[in-house]
Amino acid sequence: MTPDAYARARAAAPRAMQPAWKSQAVQLGFALMAVAALAGMAIDLDLRGAAFVAGLSKLARLASTMVPPSDGGDLARIVRALAETFAMAFAGTVIAAVVALIPGIVGAKTVVAQPALHFGFRRMLDMFRGVPALVWALIFVAAFGLGPFGGVLALALADIPSLAKLYAEAIENCDDRPMEGLRASGARPLAVLRLGLLPQVAPIMASQTLFFLESNFRHAAVLGIVGAGGIGFELEERIRIYAFDEMAFIVILYVICVAVLDTVSQRVRARLA
Amino acid sequence: MLELQGVSKRFGDTLAVDNVSFACGRGEFIGIIGRSGAGKSTLLRTINRLSEPSAGRVLWEGRDVGLLKGAELRRWRRRCAMIFQQFNLCPRLDVITNVLVGVVAERSLAASLFKAFPASDRAQAILELDALDMAPAALQRAGTLSGGQQQRVAIARAMMQQPDLVLADEPVASLDPVNAEVVMEALQRICLERRTPVIVNLHSLEIARRYCTRVLAMAKGAVVYDGPPQGLTPPVLDRIYGARNGRPVAEPLAVVEAA
Amino acid sequence: MDTAPAVETFERLRRITLRRQRLEAAVGLLAFTVVLVVAFQRSQFFGAEIGGDPLGRILTFLDRMVPDLRGEVLFEGRQQGGSLAWWYYDLPVWLRAGWQTVEMAVLATLAGAIAAMLASFLCARNLMPYAPVRFAVRRMLEVIRTLPDLIVALFLVAAFGVGPLAGVVTLALSTFGSLGKLFAEINEQVDPRPLEGLDASGAGFMRRIRFGVVPQVLPNYASYALIRLEGNVAAAAALGIVGAGGIGVELQRAITYTEFETYLAILLLIVGMIFAIDIASEWIRHRLIGLGGAR
Repeated sequence: MTPDAYARARAAAPRAMQPAWKSQAVQLGFALMAVAALAGMAIDLDLRGAAFVAGLSKLARLASTMVPPSDGGDLARIVRALAETFAMAFAGTVIAAVVALIPGIVGAKTVVAQPALHFGFRRMLDMFRGVPALVWALIFVAAFGLGPFGGVLALALADIPSLAKLYAEAIENCDDRPMEGLRASGARPLAVLRLGLLPQVAPIMASQTLFFLESNFRHAAVLGIVGAGGIGFELEERIRIYAFDEMAFIVILYVICVAVLDTVSQRVRARLA
Repeated sequence: MLELQGVSKRFGDTLAVDNVSFACGRGEFIGIIGRSGAGKSTLLRTINRLSEPSAGRVLWEGRDVGLLKGAELRRWRRRCAMIFQQFNLCPRLDVITNVLVGVVAERSLAASLFKAFPASDRAQAILELDALDMAPAALQRAGTLSGGQQQRVAIARAMMQQPDLVLADEPVASLDPVNAEVVMEALQRICLERRTPVIVNLHSLEIARRYCTRVLAMAKGAVVYDGPPQGLTPPVLDRIYGARNGRPVAEPLAVVEAA
Repeated sequence: MDTAPAVETFERLRRITLRRQRLEAAVGLLAFTVVLVVAFQRSQFFGAEIGGDPLGRILTFLDRMVPDLRGEVLFEGRQQGGSLAWWYYDLPVWLRAGWQTVEMAVLATLAGAIAAMLASFLCARNLMPYAPVRFAVRRMLEVIRTLPDLIVALFLVAAFGVGPLAGVVTLALSTFGSLGKLFAEINEQVDPRPLEGLDASGAGFMRRIRFGVVPQVLPNYASYALIRLEGNVAAAAALGIVGAGGIGVELQRAITYTEFETYLAILLLIVGMIFAIDIASEWIRHRLIGLGGAR
């Protein structure tokens, strides 16, 4: 290549003709910094390879005691606990769905046409959307004592902000032409909502609520750990006494229940659409 | 019967309807033509007050429609049925309920909330549907029907209102030619048989010429022609649609833009 | 008018439809009511143990959670009762624990995402030609997704001991389960043309992935991993409750000592932390998508 050709290529694409090591060095620098930061985090948390390996071998030992799974001679109790977990999930979802209706409707842009109010309200919902049900459960169990009551409240409270947001979006995204048609026929405002809005948003809301029932069944299973009853309580007890064969049995039964609930709920949601 | 006096509608800086006045009597079939954005839809919507006029008055039998409130306004909307380009039915309700919407202004609130209408209303709705060959679909969801079928349901709903005036906003712009003919003929029948005045926004000159007894042409919000369809000569059309590149508008013209 | 055949036909059909609809509605309503009643009864929601006045209890409790802050001494030292510093009396410790929670989430998300990436190549239809491998990997990911984090954490705390290690492994595992599925879906949507080009030049499994897939999917991967990071911060906060390290440990401590005001203080800290991470992650994601579009 003649020096002239090189100069022309450089002029045409200065970045591409830059010596390769330069951009590579920058990339390498960034990569090193990232690795250093991650290593720093690992050291800060005292995560050591040796501990991990030792834990893995212990894990293998524990896992070997899981077979064969055993019901521990009290299947009825496990089934009751599963039913209680589902009951918590169902009750929590129903309460959340009913309560979320109000902020959901108020939070819809099309209902409250005041942008600042709407923005503030949505942001508030956003802030509390992140709090896991377990954190609520901890406080409610402390307040109301052991038992599913705290769990139900915790599930409901954790769902309300998310459901309210979804409801608000369902209302905002609905088609307003049917409502205009009703208004043009001289329908009262309530009749416009009943015949124009409700048939549009009700199936969407029902479908979203069912989806939350599915996820609440998963969340409800862990609430027992902090004393809110249900299958989580049974599991925690088995783990504490190292009865991993019984734990395995409960987990398998639970996974089957989750699969059944998911299938049923998906069927219903498909019909709603 | 219907009289508009200097009606204007302003959206921010733009004047959508500019000082429009006309009167309309029994048995008239008025077509409003003009380019998209000429203010046709807005004008129609000021009549049943889906859109409030910024200035001017709309009179019905001498009464100022702009002063009506609450139940009176709803009664007025019931008396002037509107047909929309996108049908504006409730897609998840069945056809018969969509037609019965035409009487919700007359019935109690409870009846409309529980969709409990008397058998005589249902019979009336079926007869209106049957007149448009839609009775067999009465229990289907409106959303499952084709565009032409939905517009026929919308017409049945309008008939259910026993209107004294029919407003139609681009009723055939979303339909194929066969359905467009069915819908236009239904509107014509209303006008001929019941002597109900019909005001219809159209984007097609051909249709306007075929059905209308009188044509109103709008440009930039103002009425630029008001007369029989025979008066739509090339110079007049130039004024309405604006000559493109100095070339007169070709005949027959069908402006394809939908509103 | 009633004798019109169209009306008669309609009324007959309407009766049949109405009967069916009413039956369906009645069965549905009955089933729902039964489940609802049983659910409330099973979960002892209106039981006597809590005094039968849940709303009153909640209000009393809320009152105990809210600290007695006094405006005139709000910014004074922590010995002064009613000041902010008094309420947040252990702030440095909580901030440190909060930061640990973030660290747990970051490391777990990264480890889980890397593992998920490897698994996703093994279960994408367009990359892995052997159906049994795809099937096995997919089922494995499914089972992992079904297991609740905290149950896994309990088990892992038994194996790895109390501390952040068990938490990181738990979160990495659940991240692996959820991202593995999402990544596989992304892989299956890649543009096949670069892959065909590589096939034509005789590239193997690894080369196809390195040059045909990775450049296309990396921005999407990163975007999903960041969404997951947001969730993992919240999850990591909860994991501390079972002894897996981070801010959750402090929450548990506050409850154990019935310091409900402290609980609220830490809870607000967690909410703020999650919110800050959400905003940062959203900002990065929008930039990533922008970059992806510019390419």
